[in-house]
Amino acid sequence: MRYCFFCAALLLAACGMESQPPLVANDVVVSAPMPGMKMSAAYMSLTNNSGQTLRISRVTSPQYESAELHETTMEDGIARMRALPDLKISAGATVTLQRGAKHLMLTRPAGNSDTVTLQFFDGDDLILTVDATPESRID
Amino acid sequence: MRPKNFIVAIVLAIALATGIFAAVRLKTPAEPAAAFVLPAPTPLPEFSLIDQFGKAVTVDSFEDHWSLVFFGFTHCPDICPATLQILSAAKSELEAAGQAPLPRIVLVSVDPERDDPELIGNYVDYFGKGNLGVTGNLDELKKLTAGLGIYFEKQAGDADNYGVDHSAAVLLINPDGQFHALFSAPHRTANYVHDIPLIVAGH
Repeated sequence: MRYCFFCAALLLAACGMESQPPLVANDVVVSAPMPGMKMSAAYMSLTNNSGQTLRISRVTSPQYESAELHETTMEDGIARMRALPDLKISAGATVTLQRGAKHLMLTRPAGNSDTVTLQFFDGDDLILTVDATPESRID
Repeated sequence: MRPKNFIVAIVLAIALATGIFAAVRLKTPAEPAAAFVLPAPTPLPEFSLIDQFGKAVTVDSFEDHWSLVFFGFTHCPDICPATLQILSAAKSELEAAGQAPLPRIVLVSVDPERDDPELIGNYVDYFGKGNLGVTGNLDELKKLTAGLGIYFEKQAGDADNYGVDHSAAVLLINPDGQFHALFSAPHRTANYVHDIPLIVAGH
């Protein structure tokens, strides 16, 4: 009986862990490619709830041939964009991907899609899947 | 002095002081808050590029318009569309407020290799009617950018996947074809809405 109780507790703990994903995305904005263009950008805030440092080493999307972590920096009035090898997020921390800063650059869309899915990996582990509707840049 | 007269005198004194204060405040001319207005506007250098219709763009093309000129490129998914959105929103707000003349938005490509007239045309059209997309020969582009202190440099990458570092400033060109004022990044719609009517009126 005591053993069963222990099993149940373990099961509950496991369920609890499952309901708390390691990485949570909020305020997701995926821009639609502009006419004639083969690229767009995605923005969001990412919160690490895993209790340990997460390292986003790869992002993929079925709707785009490539999804890369990029960072726009502004120094001495000059805008530069660089690919980031990875993005580390400490336990409990939130990193914001936003315009003119860190963002996801999506290139070569596979076609016109109503939904864009983004998959975030830490090594081989899929730690987050985000679905978003692409938004026009002009309201 | 009777107490009643005394109160009247105080009220009158306060009213007079308020009136003087308001008059002084109103007489102080409002000044551009974000733009750096050149003490002496400088003529654009000689250059020859083309617009989205394949038409020549030279110094003459800047006459008779106020132009907000941004240097960027179409394969730039983050800062370039964000800046054009801000300029476009500012133009709409200025139009709604009855500003005349309205500035024209001009994107000069710092990536003429990939930005052909059609591509840059589609790009600028997306941000509103009447926008001008400028591209063309790299040497001619350098004449323009060097003369205005605009920096750009192509970065390493694949044939179709490379970035171009570039100055993020927006230049205001006056209807005499002169570099008149500079807006530095970060750009804010409100800065343009506030400053442009003052600069135009002061010209």
